[in-house]
Amino acid sequence: MSFWESFLSALSEGSIITLEMLALAIPVSMILGVVLAVARVYGKKPVSAIAAGIVGTFRGLPLIVTLLILFFALPKVGVYLTPFWAAVTGFILCSGAYQSEYVRGAIRSIDVGQSLAAQSLGMNRRKEVLHIILPQAFRRALPGVTNEIIYLILYSSLAYVVGVSEIFGVAKHFNSLNFRPMEIFSTAAVFYLLMATVAYAGFRRLESRLKIPGLDVGR
Amino acid sequence: MTAPEIVLRVEDLHKSYGSNTVLAGVTFNVTKRETKIVCGPSGSGKSTLLRCLNLLTIPEKGSVWLEGIEVTDPSVDINKARQKIGFVFQDFNLFAHFTALRNVSAGLEIVKGVRKDEAKKIALEALQKVGLEEHAKKYPAELSGGQKQRVAIARALAMNPVIMFYDEPTSALDPQLIGEVLEVMKQLAREGMTSLVVTHEMGFAQSVGDEMLFMMEGRILERGTPTALITDSGNEVTREFFKSINKLYGRFEK
Repeated sequence: MSFWESFLSALSEGSIITLEMLALAIPVSMILGVVLAVARVYGKKPVSAIAAGIVGTFRGLPLIVTLLILFFALPKVGVYLTPFWAAVTGFILCSGAYQSEYVRGAIRSIDVGQSLAAQSLGMNRRKEVLHIILPQAFRRALPGVTNEIIYLILYSSLAYVVGVSEIFGVAKHFNSLNFRPMEIFSTAAVFYLLMATVAYAGFRRLESRLKIPGLDVGR
Repeated sequence: MTAPEIVLRVEDLHKSYGSNTVLAGVTFNVTKRETKIVCGPSGSGKSTLLRCLNLLTIPEKGSVWLEGIEVTDPSVDINKARQKIGFVFQDFNLFAHFTALRNVSAGLEIVKGVRKDEAKKIALEALQKVGLEEHAKKYPAELSGGQKQRVAIARALAMNPVIMFYDEPTSALDPQLIGEVLEVMKQLAREGMTSLVVTHEMGFAQSVGDEMLFMMEGRILERGTPTALITDSGNEVTREFFKSINKLYGRFEK
């Protein structure tokens, strides 16, 4: 098999693993971002403090350190994660923490009058947040969240440090065998650029589908 | 003759923020089909009064009774009581992500658990009542101020409240849009909707108000028919207030 044949076939297997990690990490991190933001804004003191602690921790650690702790340190306390799951868990925690800040800001930006109106109709806090606040906050947070998800796609390449054979891991491995960095890393770069571009287009479409006159979305 | 049925009873209501006393013992009743007007200078406690009545603001002392149930009793489910009070705000406070129709049906669906198609039917009727059925599909940002406020009135009406509270409902509107909102409010009052209205619209007060409370520094300084208070008050403060309102708004509507 020629270099290109074996490289491209390994790379496409790697890209499937990358896509699998992202398919898990993107939706779950978005949910985590909303949950952490709601807990911080509306949670009682201990709940709000715990959420703030989670956000502060994973926003304050380099992702590479988080990944190494999840994979190499957790077994010392009896928690064993496969490379794949250590990476996915790290991505979710890191991206979720960042995304929650966009959602929290968006929740805070909704005019308090709408809360008063919801309460006056007899809505309890849960209904008010679920039906009135979050649908608007999510729309306002979406451009920032999109940015975080594009970062997430790019820093999924860090999964190689715990031994996941994703795109970058494959590229690095092939380069150490063949030492053709120009061809190898340029090809990997094209894969990432392609994924980021497709994701951006997808989220722009989501923005315009969710667009409502008067809400700052899809402009 | 039987005594008129009391819908809302307010007894000795107090509220202060730190050392700033906003309500210093307010007592009054609103009877069925009555339109009661509340007015007074800025900072006299009118808006705080309304918000204390449905506990958007918690009063420190005093009690509020709605149809014989004490809403200030901590064991009473305030969300149940609030469903019976239609609250119209100065700034409309429409839900920005809902169409006019959905703004009106939201309370029915989300709070009362009414089926979607049934809620939609009731909401359309409420929009019809305020003359906005052809705008049902528009979002708040696509409506004028007067239209927004009429949607807000429809939203309150759809819940089938026993009383409507209006908190300066026309103060945020351009002058040419005030009329359409007042017309709707007048029509409701004439149909017998019990209402408590904080307003400086003296024409409205005189045409449909049964009694007016003039508030000053957290107390009811004077009460009487709107015309008596506006044109013939024996109190110096009340007279001065209506003189300044008169100057600002021009001649009173007869």
